Amino acid sequence: MDYPPGKAPLAILIVAIVSGFLLLIYPAKKSAGNLQVWTFADSHFKAYQKVVPQFEKTHPGVKVDLQFVEGRAVTSRLRAAFASDLPVPDMLETEISSAGTFFLGPLEDVGFRDLTEELHKPRPDGPPWIERVVRSRFAPYTSRRIVNGKAEDHIFGLPHDVHPVLLGYRRDVFEKHGIDAEKLTTWDAFLTEGRKLLAKLNVDKSGDGKPEMNHYLIGLSDTDCGDLEVLLFQRDGQYFDAEGRVRMDDEIAVKTMLWYVPLVAGPERVGYPVGWNWELTDKAVQSDLILSYVMPDWLTGFFEQHVPSGHGKLALMPLPAFEPGGRRTSTRGGTMLGFTKKSKQFATCWELGLLMYFDIESRAEQFKELNILSPLKGSWDHPLLKAPKPYWSNQPLGQLFASQADNTPPQYTSPYIQLAKAKLGEALCDCVARYNAKGARGFEAYVRKRLKQSADELRLQMTMNPYQ
Amino acid sequence: MDNGERQSLRVQYGETPGGLAGPAKALLYATLILVSVFTLIPLVWLACAAFKGPGDMWSFTFLPYGEVQNPDGTMRPARATVINFIALFRDFGFGRNLLNSFFLTATGTSISLILASLGGFALAKYQFKGKKILMAIMLATMMIPGSVLLAPLYELICHMHMMNSYAGILVPGAVGAFGMLLFRQAMLGIPDDLIEAARIDGCSEIGIYWRIIMPVVRPMSGAFCLMSFMGGWNSFLWPMIVLQSKGLFTVPIALSQTIGLTGDMQYGLLMAGTFLGVLPPAILFFILQKEFIAGLTAGAVKG
Amino acid sequence: MSNERTNSYSLWRHQQRLAPYLFVAPFMILFCVFGIYPIVKSLYLAFHVTNGPRSVVFTGLSNFRFLLQDPDFYSAVKNTAIFAFFSVFLQLPLSLGLALLLNSRWLKGRDVFRFIFFTPNLVGQVFVGVLAGVLFVPRFGLVTRFLHWAFNANLDMKLLGDPDLVMPALVGTALWMYVGFNCIYFLAALQSVDKELHEAAAVDGANRWQQFIHITIPAIKPVALIVVIMSTLGSFQLFELPFMMMGGPGPNKAGLTVVMYLYQRGFDIGNLGYASTIGWTLALIVLTISLAQVRISGAVRGQR
Repeated sequence: MDYPPGKAPLAILIVAIVSGFLLLIYPAKKSAGNLQVWTFADSHFKAYQKVVPQFEKTHPGVKVDLQFVEGRAVTSRLRAAFASDLPVPDMLETEISSAGTFFLGPLEDVGFRDLTEELHKPRPDGPPWIERVVRSRFAPYTSRRIVNGKAEDHIFGLPHDVHPVLLGYRRDVFEKHGIDAEKLTTWDAFLTEGRKLLAKLNVDKSGDGKPEMNHYLIGLSDTDCGDLEVLLFQRDGQYFDAEGRVRMDDEIAVKTMLWYVPLVAGPERVGYPVGWNWELTDKAVQSDLILSYVMPDWLTGFFEQHVPSGHGKLALMPLPAFEPGGRRTSTRGGTMLGFTKKSKQFATCWELGLLMYFDIESRAEQFKELNILSPLKGSWDHPLLKAPKPYWSNQPLGQLFASQADNTPPQYTSPYIQLAKAKLGEALCDCVARYNAKGARGFEAYVRKRLKQSADELRLQMTMNPYQ
Repeated sequence: MDNGERQSLRVQYGETPGGLAGPAKALLYATLILVSVFTLIPLVWLACAAFKGPGDMWSFTFLPYGEVQNPDGTMRPARATVINFIALFRDFGFGRNLLNSFFLTATGTSISLILASLGGFALAKYQFKGKKILMAIMLATMMIPGSVLLAPLYELICHMHMMNSYAGILVPGAVGAFGMLLFRQAMLGIPDDLIEAARIDGCSEIGIYWRIIMPVVRPMSGAFCLMSFMGGWNSFLWPMIVLQSKGLFTVPIALSQTIGLTGDMQYGLLMAGTFLGVLPPAILFFILQKEFIAGLTAGAVKG
Repeated sequence: MSNERTNSYSLWRHQQRLAPYLFVAPFMILFCVFGIYPIVKSLYLAFHVTNGPRSVVFTGLSNFRFLLQDPDFYSAVKNTAIFAFFSVFLQLPLSLGLALLLNSRWLKGRDVFRFIFFTPNLVGQVFVGVLAGVLFVPRFGLVTRFLHWAFNANLDMKLLGDPDLVMPALVGTALWMYVGFNCIYFLAALQSVDKELHEAAAVDGANRWQQFIHITIPAIKPVALIVVIMSTLGSFQLFELPFMMMGGPGPNKAGLTVVMYLYQRGFDIGNLGYASTIGWTLALIVLTISLAQVRISGAVRGQR
């Protein structure tokens, strides 16, 4: 057959027909369930797969369709779905740094169901859920509205976690050099002892004027605000206050930035960025490059899986405090479970959510896999949490994190939380560059100015709001 | 001047009968080969990386060989493996992504080809009312960068209920002022007598288009098909906005999601997927090389 | 019988007259709906602020006023302009030089070389971005290792994590992708230059350099102009490469381009109105630059 446009167009036409035909006879697997749940974390997905059969047994007629959807896709799909008539899942997990972006606009426009009432409902077997869960963990999923001069909190998600932060340090190296980690209760003490240790390690053995290898005391990033924000939260700094006003240029933020930058830049630096490349991190542990790490509970799981060189060498201690008696933990990351307004089976979803998040046995199982602590205060006595973990020098990991869980600071949110984090990262980069170039001269004034600049840019962006 | 004089002139200016002087020739080849190596090495690396299993990815520059030590001390042979491809198809549904890419790209190209050549024919060989205005508008819109259209198209597609569907990609994608003008350029050169003769023979206009014009512009069709196919296959931004469910994702979108994974398999999967994503346009280009270059440059050189 | 004949004749005549309209019709309809309407609508949206496609609020010129004081927008423009400048003007000599080499009369295997040089472009920005992201990995990536081996660069340098290294990494990748592509344009132009011209000039006593200046360069000027305009247009719309290489704007916004910024504001945040404002400003910038380029080349040409 002679196809007038030519051979190649014919071939392409055939490809189109064949592929179209194949797509027709192998349609995408239609979700067989009638209750759709999205999760973006692979580990959560595997954990919930174990919970689903149990739930379906006790709820005949319900078929749960658990889907793994990549993080960014969750946000974009949800936004598109809320705006047009695309189907939304019944319930979904969303990450702490994007949850707030859905709270923009009047309450009727928020796609998530308001859970405040449900959480305050008295329960037959004890106090309402709101009192059983670490209170600060609701902050990132709460939108506070001022109505007639009164502040009303609207909670849109169940917190999955607490994510207390401890310091994971090289117990073997510390012990070898006679450092007692128990005594290092403040950052000042930690840094002083740490610098002495580094002076011992960073010696020039070959006589060429430079040490063989530079060791660093702590893994801290100089471009990304992730570690900075952990320390900011520790001393009660915030991006936003509870009403959603920008706070990232207040005195606490300035003090934290002033304290942080010389740790990661300049001649006296003791910090080295860790990053997400596990090969690199493993090699870093092997070569003793970094002697301590800022460890939220979920990171310990990653280390156990991907950093085999650290087995038995690392141990956990509470974060050194900023002042004696001060807070010895912080928080990093988080996930919430949201229920969409469009869903017609809220009651069933609620029960599934409770099973996934607040059931003590199922959370203990999840802890075994992921090292993630449940925000349920009553769940921390579970024997599984007391088990010694050989990777962490046989410490009872669960207990250690649980002991700090109640102290975790809140993370207040805003629809502009992502923008705020980006702005802090930019400020950090610029402050690092300035410190590297000009040192401490006039540095405080610069930090103050630069943070205010970031905060003002953020405030400016916040005015671009159709609801003003 | 005759050949002899020319020859002597060439020799005068440093050319031997075989070409340039020896060392200059060697230098030339060396340069070209060096550039070729630089050009190809990343792609060779890609092909090798697609076949490297977890653990081998960074230990070997190209393909694995010899033996490697396990974390527990035992040795294992390090070989090329298809494990990435198996995981890609079995666990990630990559086969479906490939199928989606093929379907959307091939269908889009076929439709665009017909529309552009039809329109180009009308513009080249007919006079009709509004032709000048139409061409002016088309040229004007071509100057506008595509990103201007993203927001309103998104809103339009939402309202037309074409979000998350093949139609959302195919329908807006069929519009192409560029293609129409390309075909117009190619068809201008067709002698009008040919068309008149066909008309006298009783051929309908559409018949003229199909049976006479299209075979004549085959080189341009080939070039256009390749450009359209490449453009569609590699297109990322608009499909990312429109396609929302996993079963509809094209290859670029699927790959961008694999980047978010962590773990040992991640890079292997990513490279295997990229490798497969690169093959179809490469193969098509290899087949249509001559037409493509002829079509590309015809417009530019005369332009 | 003659009636029949006239009827079918007039029908035939009819379809001949209608044909052009029918041929252009499908394109016209689609063009109006998906081409003209969005352009007009985006102009409309540029004066509004939205939260997704539903809530659209009229704000007059405030989007434009905001744009003029928006530091993120200026960063994006600066990054995009720097990228465009370096990638266009580094490309020109490289692809021209390559084309000249390929144009050598007696060169064997020209087709093979041509195919090889074209392959990176054929891969497409998305896939190149993914590949580059992996090749630039600190300590292990192929490019990082090569730079360490060849130029003693720091093996741990983060080509995509250090704000100062991101732009060179982007420009380098773009060069790898497009030099071959533009080389083919130049090669075609060079090959279409009449060889007789060169020989006639040689007879007149012109040496190779003079031949180059007076024959080759004028012949390729139109192509060079097209290459420069196309490269500039393309560079200003850079999005996929940094997006796939770094997953976003990169450290300290070093990889933020105008289109990426548009996408962020329009689709990550949901403000389609401001996204349209950004889009139109980009269109204006690009148009101005193209016009300037045409003017300059015309002036240069006129000088001859």
